[in-house]
Amino acid sequence: MTVQAATGGTAVPPIVLEIEASQRRRGSIFRMVFILTWIVVLAAVGVFLIVTVGVNTGFLQEWLPFIVGGVYFTLLISVISIFIAVGLAIFGALGRLSTNPIFNGLASLYVSVVRGTPLLVQILFIFLALPAAGIVIDAVPTGIIALSFNYGAYLTEVFRAGIQAVPGGQVEAARAIGLPEREVMRRIVLPQAFRIVTPAVGNDFIAMTKDTALISVIGVQELLWRAQAAGRPTGQAFQTIIVAAIIYWCLTLVLSYFQARLEKRMAAGDRVR
Amino acid sequence: MNPVHSTRPRLIGLLATAAIIFAACSSAASTTEPSAAAPTPASSAAAASPTEAIATPIPDGLLDKILKAGTIVVSTDPNYAPQSFVQPDGSYDGFDIAVAEEIGKRLGVTVKYETPGWDTITAGSWGGRWDISVGSMTITVPRRGVLDFSPAYYFTPAQMTATTDSGITSIAELAGKTVCLGSATTYEDWIKGTLESESLGPVAVPPADIKLQTLPTDQDCAQAIAAGRKDAVGFLTSSTTVDQAIKNGTPIVKIGEPVFTEQLAVSIDKSGPDDTDFLARLKTIIEEMHADGTLSALSLKWFDEDLTVPPTS
Repeated sequence: MTVQAATGGTAVPPIVLEIEASQRRRGSIFRMVFILTWIVVLAAVGVFLIVTVGVNTGFLQEWLPFIVGGVYFTLLISVISIFIAVGLAIFGALGRLSTNPIFNGLASLYVSVVRGTPLLVQILFIFLALPAAGIVIDAVPTGIIALSFNYGAYLTEVFRAGIQAVPGGQVEAARAIGLPEREVMRRIVLPQAFRIVTPAVGNDFIAMTKDTALISVIGVQELLWRAQAAGRPTGQAFQTIIVAAIIYWCLTLVLSYFQARLEKRMAAGDRVR
Repeated sequence: MNPVHSTRPRLIGLLATAAIIFAACSSAASTTEPSAAAPTPASSAAAASPTEAIATPIPDGLLDKILKAGTIVVSTDPNYAPQSFVQPDGSYDGFDIAVAEEIGKRLGVTVKYETPGWDTITAGSWGGRWDISVGSMTITVPRRGVLDFSPAYYFTPAQMTATTDSGITSIAELAGKTVCLGSATTYEDWIKGTLESESLGPVAVPPADIKLQTLPTDQDCAQAIAAGRKDAVGFLTSSTTVDQAIKNGTPIVKIGEPVFTEQLAVSIDKSGPDDTDFLARLKTIIEEMHADGTLSALSLKWFDEDLTVPPTS
């Protein structure tokens, strides 16, 4: 943004151009050193791993397709779970903010219990304990249900905070123009709350892709399971674990990039044109 | 985004519904990779087995269910070479897998595999998710409480090993030291002194004061030792797994005579459908496999020794 509009003239004072140029230079120096730091540290870690663990390229070539195939399950389970979790979170948040004591009580209990027990315990409970009550659920749906419930509880608090962060003036204005309570929530508050919580939800989604590794204990052949199954019998457990870690990281990089783009788009209304 | 005509919640709802439908369809299909290295041809139940005295299976029993489906679902833990391990194309191979395929062939059904964790299999209450376990499971008294066992299809000695740099050469020297084992294995029971295995031959007494390092599976112990972890100086598992580990270069040596010999059998969940007639069929099949040399041949192929002969005590 230049001062052209302000002065109304076509001549830009040289001092302004100098300041802009020096800002750009500092920006690029920052970026360069930033990238250099990444490269140096990653190279150091890479050398350390190669020296201690070793890279067996033949083994990797043979097994990489099998291991990477697990990403399908990781993504499938994460994507479905985050949608269900968000749905649960909205209900939970409305419950936590509700004046109805039953609704509020149930929502608070849900949050407290599910946040208070380990995800691994929840997965095993759904898979192993429910059959005693006659409810038998297969491994993949068990993973989805466990993750949805677990993240739904955490996201409930996020959504509750997001709803409360919507400026009060919005609610007052909505009521002033005669919108019924339900419409206020649906058309004014929730859409704005969504924008506020998007970074947190994106964050949790990325965390969830890592938590899917826990589902390997009930036998879903996702990324970690495959890495271990490939590595253990052949004595290459380290290599495969590191490969799995790198794949998770790449997945995270991709998802973070998309999250950044989503946040930019949602903030479009804020930017000065 | 236009806050009044908000398309976003509608889009999210649509995507969520599509995702759930997709999940339902894909979970209806198997979560695992399809069958073993040598898939059996699908044959109808009546055509395949010549020794079958065609009595009607108990309605809704296990045998009925398997024959009607034309498939038997076998659970396996493919982290246990050379008994069961996974191939780069996702199929399974190993001694247990070969035995499972043979059982399927003699029943006249195809074989499908599920891969839950080992302690899930030994705990029973499978919920009908798989029909049998062919996983080198030792017959023990506690397990008989929740599982039915076939006759043993092979026998393995439990072999104690010590890391090469610990300098330990006898089992007695392990007193007060830490030994690594897989969780929910009979080896863990033996060390704890709670082994109620129907083992054949003498059962040695574990040294006093032994400490345990329990990892999810036997292979994790081999890996930990190979990595140079010093938590444990010993590793107890079946002699077949020991041989495999040594072949892989794990720095361990066998010490002492085998501490006990176990019977390994196929197991079936007691809380599943009625398995009386299936057990009878299974017994016949396994006895036939012993008699016609199939099991011996497989044992020689995978273990370089015939472990299918019961040891003389």
